[in-house]
Amino acid sequence: MIMLDDVHFSYEGIYTALRGVSLQIDDGERVAIMGANGAGKTTLMKHLNGLLRPQKGKVFLDGRDTSRLSVAQMARVVGLVFQSPDYQLFLDSVHTEIAFGLRNLGFTDEEVEERCSKTMEGLGLSGLSERSPFDLSGGERKRVALASVLAVEPRVLALDEPTIGQDAGQKERLAELLMDLNKAGRTVIVVTHDIEFIVENFPRTIAMADGKIIADGPTSSVLSNERAIDLCSLTYPQMTQAARALKRAFPDISERLTSLSEVEDTIVSILGGRRK
Amino acid sequence: MSLLGFLEVFQYTRRDSPIHSLDPRSKLFLSIVCAVISVLFTDILPLLIVFFCVLPLIALARSMKRWARSMKGLSILLVFVIVFNTLLSPVTNPFSRSIALTIRLIALMTSISVFFLTVHPDQLSQALIQMHVKFEFAFAMSMAMRYVPTLAQEAYAIMDSQKARGVELDRGNPVRRIRNIVPIIVPLIIVSMRRALSIAESMESRGFGASKKRTYMDRLRFRKRDWGVVLASVLALVLLTYVRLYVPLPEWMLWSLPF
Repeated sequence: MIMLDDVHFSYEGIYTALRGVSLQIDDGERVAIMGANGAGKTTLMKHLNGLLRPQKGKVFLDGRDTSRLSVAQMARVVGLVFQSPDYQLFLDSVHTEIAFGLRNLGFTDEEVEERCSKTMEGLGLSGLSERSPFDLSGGERKRVALASVLAVEPRVLALDEPTIGQDAGQKERLAELLMDLNKAGRTVIVVTHDIEFIVENFPRTIAMADGKIIADGPTSSVLSNERAIDLCSLTYPQMTQAARALKRAFPDISERLTSLSEVEDTIVSILGGRRK
Repeated sequence: MSLLGFLEVFQYTRRDSPIHSLDPRSKLFLSIVCAVISVLFTDILPLLIVFFCVLPLIALARSMKRWARSMKGLSILLVFVIVFNTLLSPVTNPFSRSIALTIRLIALMTSISVFFLTVHPDQLSQALIQMHVKFEFAFAMSMAMRYVPTLAQEAYAIMDSQKARGVELDRGNPVRRIRNIVPIIVPLIIVSMRRALSIAESMESRGFGASKKRTYMDRLRFRKRDWGVVLASVLALVLLTYVRLYVPLPEWMLWSLPF
């Protein structure tokens, strides 16, 4: 369980990135964090594993105050994957790159091998095992960076913009992988602008603007909140737009439709029930 | 970045000062002459005199604070220089010698910083161009200066990424710490090379080098005071070189510490 209590942070006193953020994320949750550029999302993520320390307020991990834990200690529990893969890849093959984090944290050789091959398979990297990360495409590099953190199997996974540069197929596989990890009990936290990715995969959404949390709750209600969408400079999910168009013709349907299945059910009920 | 803090003295600061308003070419000449004079001498007193002649230039450029901060950052390195020279130097009074070398290093850095503190990267490239350096090289030079802060930012981002993977940068024995530089330096180089390529591509797609003959909005002009600076520098250089080569310095000038 992660708890942030009134966390404030500003960069060298010049630029205030967080102005009193409080939130609680329980074990096994899937949470999306959205917000306009500069809303403080990445700064928030860096507080989860101690890269940044709150200047006011506290961060708790499983009820323990984290101010005395080192980043390496927290990295075992919270795996953070950054936006740019190029900031972490430095070894000569995909395989050694993925093994690097495991070795840092002191896993045995067999464990390293086992986890490496498992992760590579999960992310569709098996065929690239001996390739140099620097020769790969942007999307592939991104998956290698992701794999290098996933392999550690941290209890909490925090991903900063994981869908950028991934094609639809890869996005779907990423979603599946995250679902599997989540089913195995891991908490998944994602920062993203990809609203369709949120709708399909994350039951809870936190919206941030100007260093504060402006909405936190079930995805469907946050994403139908006009102010939140506006402040995060997003457009409504396609299904919500479809539902609104539908509502013009059929005023009595719900406005809070965000997923495909909800819209499908509504249309079916308008058409007079499901045909068997 | 306290370790590299001493480099601050080589970073341009915008100020309204007599030194800033000089032509970069005359400043370059002045800087080089000061640097050459600092290496002409090896004894404590002459070096101190040189140093106290150069320091007012920094004061005149209204940058004493920055200079002092840099020197504070440099102090660790200086202590290092003193200790190692004292221990390893074969001369008869090594401590005195290493003090002299330290003063020389400070004087040298101060001399060179007179130029870098007061010349904007754009002025530097314009100066190079008017000294008939090809535009492409001059441009590359000012780009390099422009990207130093970006590189520093990137280094921090990379450190964060690696820490998140369990690299403990500030723990362990010295060998381990040195090995820990690898995960920082490799991505930094790769990212820089990628960026260099993409900057080159975007510059070409915006027509860089399309016209052979360039014209410039601002051209540097050598004014009377610039000639004055160059003349004074030449005189100082000639005089001191003559002194160094043909005039035996009086006994008191060669004073050194007893050990």
